Amino acid sequence: MVSSDRGKAIVATVLALGASSVVSGCKDPVQTRYEPSDAAKSRGLVAIEKTGCGSCHEIPGVEWPRGRLGPSLAGFDDVGLIAGKLPNRPGLLAAFIRNAPAIKPGSTMPPMPVTDAEAQDVASYLYGLDSD
Amino acid sequence: MIEAVWGWPPPVLDPAGPYSAQVTTLSWALFALGVFVTGVVVVALWVAIKGPPNWKANLGGERAIWIGGVAFPGVVLTALLIWGLTLTASLTEPIRGDEMRIRVTGEMWWFRVEYLDPDGAVMMVDANEIHIPVDTPVVLELESADVIHSFWVPHLSGKKDMIPGRRTLLRIEADRAGEFGGVCAEYCGGQHALMGFIAVVHEPAAWQSWLADRMDTLANAAEPVAQESQRYPGDADLYPTEAEYLERYDARRGYDLFMETGCAACHRIAGSEANGLAGPDLTHIASRRSLGAGILPNHRGTLIGWIGDSQSIKPGNRMPSYDRLSAEDLGHIAAFLELQK
Amino acid sequence: MKSETGFDHALYERFPTDKRPDSEVDALNEIWKAPTGWRRLTAVNNNYVGFWYVVTAFGFFLAAGILALGMRVQLAAPMQDFLGVDTYNQFFTMHGTVMMFLFAVPMVEAIGIMLLPQMLAARDLPFPRLSAFAFWAYFVGGTMFFMSLFVGLAPDGGWFMYPPLTSIAFSPDINTDFWLLGIGFIEISAIAGAIEIIVGVLRTRAPGMTLDKMPMFAWAMLVFAVMIVVAFPSVILCTMLLEIERAFNWPFFDATRGGDPMLWQHLFWFFGHPEVYIIFIPAAGLMSMMVSTVARTKLIGYRLNVLALVATGFISFGVWAHHMFTTDMPRVSAGYFSAASMAVSLPAGIQVFCWIATLASGTIKWTTPALFVVGSVVVFTMGGLTGVMVGMVPFDWQAHDTYFIVAHLHYVLIGGMVFPMFAAFYHWHGMTSSKALSERVGKWVFGLMFTGLHITFLPMHLTGLMGMPRRVYTYLPGRDLDLLNMISTIGAFVMAAGVLLFVIDCARRFRFTVHDDAGNLYNGGTLEWLPTGLYSTRSIPLVRSRDPLWDQPGLSQEVADGRYFLPNSATGQRETLITSPVMAEPQYVQLMPGPSAWPVSAAVFTAGFFLSLTVQAYPFAIFCGIVAVLSTLRWLWETDRPIKQETAEIGGGIEVPIAITGSSSHGWWALNTLMVVIGMIGFMGVFAYLYLYGINPEVWSAPPPLGQTVLILTMEGLAFVAAWGGRRLLATKEGRLAEDLPWMMEALAVGLLAGALYFDITGWLETGLAPTMNGMGATVFMLMVLQAQVVTVAIIMAAYLAFREARGIMTTPTNVTMDVVARFIGFCALQGLVFTAVTRFFPGG
Repeated sequence: MVSSDRGKAIVATVLALGASSVVSGCKDPVQTRYEPSDAAKSRGLVAIEKTGCGSCHEIPGVEWPRGRLGPSLAGFDDVGLIAGKLPNRPGLLAAFIRNAPAIKPGSTMPPMPVTDAEAQDVASYLYGLDSD
Repeated sequence: MIEAVWGWPPPVLDPAGPYSAQVTTLSWALFALGVFVTGVVVVALWVAIKGPPNWKANLGGERAIWIGGVAFPGVVLTALLIWGLTLTASLTEPIRGDEMRIRVTGEMWWFRVEYLDPDGAVMMVDANEIHIPVDTPVVLELESADVIHSFWVPHLSGKKDMIPGRRTLLRIEADRAGEFGGVCAEYCGGQHALMGFIAVVHEPAAWQSWLADRMDTLANAAEPVAQESQRYPGDADLYPTEAEYLERYDARRGYDLFMETGCAACHRIAGSEANGLAGPDLTHIASRRSLGAGILPNHRGTLIGWIGDSQSIKPGNRMPSYDRLSAEDLGHIAAFLELQK
Repeated sequence: MKSETGFDHALYERFPTDKRPDSEVDALNEIWKAPTGWRRLTAVNNNYVGFWYVVTAFGFFLAAGILALGMRVQLAAPMQDFLGVDTYNQFFTMHGTVMMFLFAVPMVEAIGIMLLPQMLAARDLPFPRLSAFAFWAYFVGGTMFFMSLFVGLAPDGGWFMYPPLTSIAFSPDINTDFWLLGIGFIEISAIAGAIEIIVGVLRTRAPGMTLDKMPMFAWAMLVFAVMIVVAFPSVILCTMLLEIERAFNWPFFDATRGGDPMLWQHLFWFFGHPEVYIIFIPAAGLMSMMVSTVARTKLIGYRLNVLALVATGFISFGVWAHHMFTTDMPRVSAGYFSAASMAVSLPAGIQVFCWIATLASGTIKWTTPALFVVGSVVVFTMGGLTGVMVGMVPFDWQAHDTYFIVAHLHYVLIGGMVFPMFAAFYHWHGMTSSKALSERVGKWVFGLMFTGLHITFLPMHLTGLMGMPRRVYTYLPGRDLDLLNMISTIGAFVMAAGVLLFVIDCARRFRFTVHDDAGNLYNGGTLEWLPTGLYSTRSIPLVRSRDPLWDQPGLSQEVADGRYFLPNSATGQRETLITSPVMAEPQYVQLMPGPSAWPVSAAVFTAGFFLSLTVQAYPFAIFCGIVAVLSTLRWLWETDRPIKQETAEIGGGIEVPIAITGSSSHGWWALNTLMVVIGMIGFMGVFAYLYLYGINPEVWSAPPPLGQTVLILTMEGLAFVAAWGGRRLLATKEGRLAEDLPWMMEALAVGLLAGALYFDITGWLETGLAPTMNGMGATVFMLMVLQAQVVTVAIIMAAYLAFREARGIMTTPTNVTMDVVARFIGFCALQGLVFTAVTRFFPGG
């Protein structure tokens, strides 16, 4: 019923990533800031619209829907933590999108029906929403 | 966003059945005629204004009016009319009476779909989706519960209005399997724009098994909360492990919430005590392709979003936003609804 | 040539007469002088009222155009939130309603009021105060209606307002009532204008201007006005029905109680489709005149063109149900309406080729009007062709209610009405502006509008075939609609830039004047280009051809020298020459009322009355209603006075009577037209009754007892006799005072009618039928309501008649007021007879 091995693997990844971010400080140094490609960003927007992420989130560039159930995703690259808990990194965000409850136990956000590649693209899109 | 049911090529010119195919032929003929006559008029204007004097002289008299304004349109329009009337007659052949029947009722702003057995009794209720087998004529009984709506699947046939107090009949037939978009075409107030549905055409065998699944659900509908494992619908590759999620959200708790918070006042789930008739029947909600009348993909995320905040998604729709429910409770309800296939 | 009225055509040989003294011109100027300052608003002369009318209608065009831009921004991309769903629905409803009812119909009517008197060389239209009333009712009502948008209360049911969406159950707020209110005003002003125009065209043409020599625009306006008279009653009735259903719960359209939503569609489209031609026909008339001017030659196929106009008007009443092909019509009906829809494009084809042939027979001069005229032919043809497409039933099933239709109707209306209107602005603005508009800017205006039009609407055909329904505030992404919609939005702004350029040029150059106008900029050949003042032409010319100014080069000077009819004021009052309807032979001199504040007051308080009803301020509504009625009576009071002078010399030694009564009088014609309107409303009411019986016979119950029916019919018959008797009685009083008996006969007639109505209503109530009960109750009592309306008017009329008699201003042996009252009461009696008989004998017990 539950593929617990996989779950553990993810948790391990999270912990590793989390640890590294603690080591390197809360905010990434400028040179390592994530710079997604435009192609990835536009694929990400398509995936967002196809999946209907807007049902719960307000997302810049998505006119509809603009749900208010979940947090707004504007200015994502400036948010310190994913879901107020996890270090904010693209790889982690992609994993979170695919399976939020596994990464943050107790998350309201359900697993999303997207492939791994799509989740990466969505993360790219969200990080590409520069507010600066 | 529902994929693959709309878009290029124009559905009106991309027929998926005999009732639309004949109209497509007519359409192309009409467009050709339109372009031709526009050309004639433009050329005539050019001749009238800049043409050689002897051409102008020919055009500048009553004879030109009789030829261009009376004889030519008279002949063309008569021919067209004969074609149009013949085609109208063949498209409105009397209904035999032994066709499969589906009753579709337009409501503000969604479609109630009832599959009728040969005696005309309702055997299964669904919403915003019409499943038909390929190469089989189907008669739709179109009704309205409130204001005038209009039923339109351009791939399959022209539209027909759904009028309060009347029952209009529309015969459709598909000659290829696929999913085709449908909409309400008559302005029906507020959310007319987001009132859509999907016509799903199956191969005959697939349709039989689809129907069997549905009937099976109904036959075993006494206990709406299944006891066995709760699998997320869809492709395993799309969903990584759900361990945590499934541990946390409890379909039985969702069922209780469904009954307590008022969902059941408007929605019916066969076999349960939920008997509301105002909103769409949710007996098979988990196997539908869309939420909100053909506007959102149907998965746990959008389901939670819809229940919790449908007014942001489709402002003015008749379902209130259940934003007073906690995120956890929404999860429970979604977990329960996912089991209603 | 055989004379129509006994007028000797040899008398025409006396014209032109000798030059008349210039002092007569000063007298004319003095008599026709417009009030100044604030009192200018009380002016009734067509030069003022017509101009205000045009400007107001154009204002609504701009306003509705701005709404369209808002809509295009919202639709530029999928799922935007520029206008919310509620605002968008109000916008598109208002765009359609304002364009159809506050712009198109009033605009063509306004152009008619502005141009017709000059084109026919009449001093003014026959009922100037009625024109003023029509304008003010429209101005005040239209403005208030539009204002509802700013408080979020604008109607949102689409311009054809289908119930039950617009019934109280689904539209509980007063938005819909605002629509019904706004339309109410247009109904009033359109009917008033139509009566004015019918009588004006048929009775105030210059002598010698036989029907065959009338300018095409006059023909078009005649057809237009007749169509209004036949078509508008239908919408008057259906707006009444809907308002009564909303306010008092009478179930006309409620299928659960024996009503039927389709009743609305039949009534509305019986008006709604002719409405399109009501808009198009006058514009086609303008086109015909301008084509001839820009090609600098006579119109080819004048008679064919007239025939086409009349045929269009006629056939257009047989096509209404082609808006309802998707409602599951019987095959035979669909076939008939499809055939009629094809047939109506034949006259359009004739007109298009008339214009092409005229262009070919002349030599075009590329002025701005020429550009708009030629552009209009192309655009209108394209719209007509898509019209033929949707006239094909199977194609319509696909195209109906999609953007294909949006494209079609905009091509037709812009090509058929808006472009001709802009052409006409350029062509005729020299009549009212002291400076000419820029030709260079005009060409830009045309270029932007023409390209913008195609960029906007050509893609919409495809948008529709892609499955986008009309009237949607947004659309979902991923349906390949994004690019098409973006193109349309860009086009809309290009077109708007053209209109804006026109407005700027008007602001820079247009200067209103009635005296030193810029004149005949494009060398037209018809009478409106004679030298004019507020009194129109100095003398009324004798017309010998269709383009008198081209055919008689000296005519302008002769007219200005007073060498034709009525070179002065024969009575020292405002007056015009009334001629016979076919041959335009001089018949009599009509005295015309001058400026007055009363029509303005009547219009403002009529508006106040309806607005108060809408917002449910009933006491204030009653107050406004009373003031409106009193104002109307006060305005009428000054008319129809005894005059000493019985005949007047109208030039050339010809003597004609002044202000006659009976069947040759212009008042008789106007009253008959009005009775046709009211009769059509009644006819439509009877149709509604029979229609609902046909749909829901199961709710029909037995009528009251026969004895009672006979009593009611007898009373109505007696009322008819009494009304007629009063008039006969007056005729026996020749040379004496009228005394009381004639008016008392009328009062008796009215009393009988009121009594009959009372028995009719109570009789039905006693059978247990109630208006809220079912479709039968609603329609039966609706006929009573219609009867009650006319009886109320008859009571007021009888009282007014008595009052006039008491003040000693009732002329004998005949009197226009008496004629009007007696005939109207007679009409009420006949209508009562029909209503009683239909409801009580059909379908019978």
